[in-house]
Amino acid sequence: MWHKISWRLLKHELRRGELTIMAAAIVLSVTAVLSLALFTDRLQAGLTERSAEFLAADRVLSSRRDVSEDWIARAQAEGLQTAQRVVFNSMAFAGEQLALVDVKAVSDGYPLRGELRVAEQPYAQDALAEGLPAADEAWVAAALFQELQLEIGDTIEIGDSGFTVTKVLTYEPDVGFSVFTDSPNVLINYSELAATGLIQPGSRVRFNVLYAGEPAALDAYEEWLRPQLNDDTHNWRSVEDGDSPLARSLRRAERFMLLASLLGVVLAATAVAVAAQRYCQRNYDVVAIFKTMGAQRSQIQKIFILHLLLLTTFSIGIGVALGWLIQSQVVDLVAQYFDVNLPPGSGRGYLLAIGTGLVSAVMFTLYPLLRLVGIPPLRVLNRQLTGTDRLRWLHWVASGGTIYLLLWLYSQQWLLSTALFVGGALAAVLLLVVGRLFIRASRQAGMQAGSAWRLAMAGLQRRAQANSVQMLSFSTAIMLLLLVLALRHELLADWQRQLPDDAPNYFLINVAEDDVEQLQQRFAERNIAAEDMYPIVPGRMTAVNGVPVVDEVSKEERESDAEVQGEQREGFGRELSLTWRDTLPPNNEITAGEWWGENAEPQVSIESEVAERMRVGLGDELEFNIGGEVFTVPITSIREVNWGSLQPNFFMIFNTSTLEEFPATYISSFNLPQERKSELYELFKPFPQVSLIDLDAIMDQLREVIEQVSVAILFVLILVIVAGILVLLAQVQASLEEREKELVILRTLGAPAKLLSRAVTYEFVILGAISGLIATLAMELSLYILQTQVFELGATFHWRFWLVGPLAGAVIVGLMGRIACARLIRRNTAQLIRRLA
Amino acid sequence: MLIQTTQLKKDVETSEGILHILQPTDLQIAAGETVAIVGASGSGKSTLLSLLAGLDLASAGNVSIDNVNLGDLDEEQRAKVRADKIGFIFQSFLLIPSLTALENVMLPAELAGNRDAEKQARELLSKVGLQDRLTHYPNQLSGGEQQRVAIARAFVGTPKILFADEPTGNLDAATGQKVEDLLFQMNEESGTTLVMVTHDSELAKRCQRVLRMDAGQLSEVVRDVA
Repeated sequence: MWHKISWRLLKHELRRGELTIMAAAIVLSVTAVLSLALFTDRLQAGLTERSAEFLAADRVLSSRRDVSEDWIARAQAEGLQTAQRVVFNSMAFAGEQLALVDVKAVSDGYPLRGELRVAEQPYAQDALAEGLPAADEAWVAAALFQELQLEIGDTIEIGDSGFTVTKVLTYEPDVGFSVFTDSPNVLINYSELAATGLIQPGSRVRFNVLYAGEPAALDAYEEWLRPQLNDDTHNWRSVEDGDSPLARSLRRAERFMLLASLLGVVLAATAVAVAAQRYCQRNYDVVAIFKTMGAQRSQIQKIFILHLLLLTTFSIGIGVALGWLIQSQVVDLVAQYFDVNLPPGSGRGYLLAIGTGLVSAVMFTLYPLLRLVGIPPLRVLNRQLTGTDRLRWLHWVASGGTIYLLLWLYSQQWLLSTALFVGGALAAVLLLVVGRLFIRASRQAGMQAGSAWRLAMAGLQRRAQANSVQMLSFSTAIMLLLLVLALRHELLADWQRQLPDDAPNYFLINVAEDDVEQLQQRFAERNIAAEDMYPIVPGRMTAVNGVPVVDEVSKEERESDAEVQGEQREGFGRELSLTWRDTLPPNNEITAGEWWGENAEPQVSIESEVAERMRVGLGDELEFNIGGEVFTVPITSIREVNWGSLQPNFFMIFNTSTLEEFPATYISSFNLPQERKSELYELFKPFPQVSLIDLDAIMDQLREVIEQVSVAILFVLILVIVAGILVLLAQVQASLEEREKELVILRTLGAPAKLLSRAVTYEFVILGAISGLIATLAMELSLYILQTQVFELGATFHWRFWLVGPLAGAVIVGLMGRIACARLIRRNTAQLIRRLA
Repeated sequence: MLIQTTQLKKDVETSEGILHILQPTDLQIAAGETVAIVGASGSGKSTLLSLLAGLDLASAGNVSIDNVNLGDLDEEQRAKVRADKIGFIFQSFLLIPSLTALENVMLPAELAGNRDAEKQARELLSKVGLQDRLTHYPNQLSGGEQQRVAIARAFVGTPKILFADEPTGNLDAATGQKVEDLLFQMNEESGTTLVMVTHDSELAKRCQRVLRMDAGQLSEVVRDVA
């Protein structure tokens, strides 16, 4: 019989809209978690696929020696695509001219990810390359055309082989971000590699095997391969390992998505918690009536547990359908935008979403339900009776445990979950205490105000305890909203900083000292924004504190690998680009020691990561050899360099007096809009020895990825906002029900509707404003921690939010309170009294 | 005796000390009797009713219903006694707002596991004249109609005792009169023992016995007119 009663209650209550908030809260938590999980899963897979292009593969095995054919055969047997790539430095000869080049020999299939683009003439419009250079052909970078004074159809000699230059290489996916210090690239066919005779034991060559395929197959292969790799010889890499601006941006975006999703989950769970409390309170009378009618406790338990389970199942069903629909729509939209196929989502999202709905509905209702079942039958005669409050601690334990569990379920990261949870718990205590203090203070201030204000203040004061708990959920919702908003802003701003519209898109190298002035003049005439000219003196670092450097860096050198990791590791053991300067370059920050300023004593400033890797610090003496001249300088400062800035960056910067006597060439970077590309020829005609490196392709790709991630972040933001609003709505609804009785009495006594509506609005406005203020404080603190600890960003102060937080809180909460109150006041007094009876 | 109390007493602790809501009371009510308890507001009438019905526990003394001492029972057992033997009518009707009139009436019978619940409820609702209002929710019914639903609900399990707390207190005079008539008529037909709290002396007069509660002290009113 009890199940009939339960079903009947559910059916009618649903139809009459009495369970809307509770159902909406569960639906939302399921929808949010499902769409977030599915979407981020798919997006992440999509982005990884996209960013794999920067490796030209999904995974790369890099080796100092030739890679065993068995390993490649094994990969192919497991269904993976493979290609080989061998990279080395060599001299290229064209008639009388010679130049140092990076030779890249690639086998069929290259690139496995991304595309290769070529042009028919230097700086002409490029197009997708069809296939690879034939055995006797070479495709070369535009810079080499200038350096060797080549024409298409000329022959260059590399080692023992001659190659006909047939195309201009304009874009290689795996060129990385080390364009500036590398020599011009020459692409030849792998089949011709042996004939060059350059691959000898001991020669400095990197053998790469590129892999692409299904993630599972890749993982399986990796598992098989890993134990056989030798750390000294091999390096296994996927795109996430890199330190390129792209990898960093992606990592940040991933962390943001995870964090924002977690906050969304917490918000959705909070909505369920608030709604669950109301759900049970609404049923106090029903339980008292049941008990008066002779219902057994066990019957009541069964009735309400089934009622709740049915409601939860119903809501989860709707949530899953809605979540699937939303993410599929968004994915379609994004997929068009992304121009990639997003892989299908995994079952994990569904499990997670259903689990979230079930766990939050059950756990948050646990204590309210216990209390509900304990309602004494005497309540039918005495409405004040609300049962025992003895087990209140259980509520906090169950709710806290549930939130922690959800955090962990979603992130699968103990540390992150614990940090968020502990931070959140501390914030909650802080919010409670500060909220109480505020309410107490506001009473003093309110005494002078008009009568609606006074009514509002008196109400606030009387309900101080209930209000501070309500404020906790208002503040939490507002804080999380502000947090996600501010973080999104920070991330976008950081990316924007990294890639402003006028970011340099050309590098200029090999400018003769005599040409510097003339070139700068031409830039000025044509209104081209150019960076400073940096002198370059090629030199070797030969010793640290008297110990020859070869020994000290040999191990690192063996481990090191260029490409994405960056030129810094590879730079040693060969010539470095040394420069001098009076002022600290932009995007550089001194982390130890001091910049020299006017000090003319010989000294050097070293990049922080290099310093760390070489285990050198302030005061260490570095020995350099420039064109046979050997000298020693102390390190007087250590700099952090933003390698993502796409400006000339250096490991070693000397003061002017140390280097200015050495012959130097100059480099710079400048921005030229793509539509003005045709001016380049005219611009550089008088400077035939100058080489230009075009960064547009790389920057476009980076911009595109960032834009895609921004869209994704916007989606997460919208979900979080919806969750936040639901929490606010549920809480306003709940708080208003508590005020209902009082309103009815005042209305019955003849208080004008306007007065009551104002008093309620003011009360909510004050609550909202205080909550907004506390939320901003909490947001600022959390943001500081997140920016400095999680996102590798600098800390910033967000003064705008100190205005937005309280204002938004006051407006939103006040408005919701007013709307909810208006509904109540529209009813006539008799109806109201009957409602309370 | 169907209902019997001995030295039944209720004290409540307040911040100003112990409040004696009900002084030690001895009371016997025989099966089939109709008894009114009258008195001013706050005199302790409702407290006595709640003790008699096993909704609340006494501070001292005993209540027995049908020779079962309620003081010896736990909450579950008292609920069982209510389910088997007691019906209620309240001033504020106390219908479940999300159930229809029919479902409200069926409820006690269903809780008691009665398979005929719906049939009984339909009969009772047509008896109180609401056969056309079966699917209406309480908020779609007038006060008088709601109280008639409550009367039907009170009789659904054919209880031995009916407790009524100000059954016409929320109704206007004319409606109150009709509800009153209905209540007494159904009570007479079923031979139920009626214990009614009211401060309406006219209503009290329709009962066979009238008890007066005065500051927690119960006394029998001697009827001058039969």
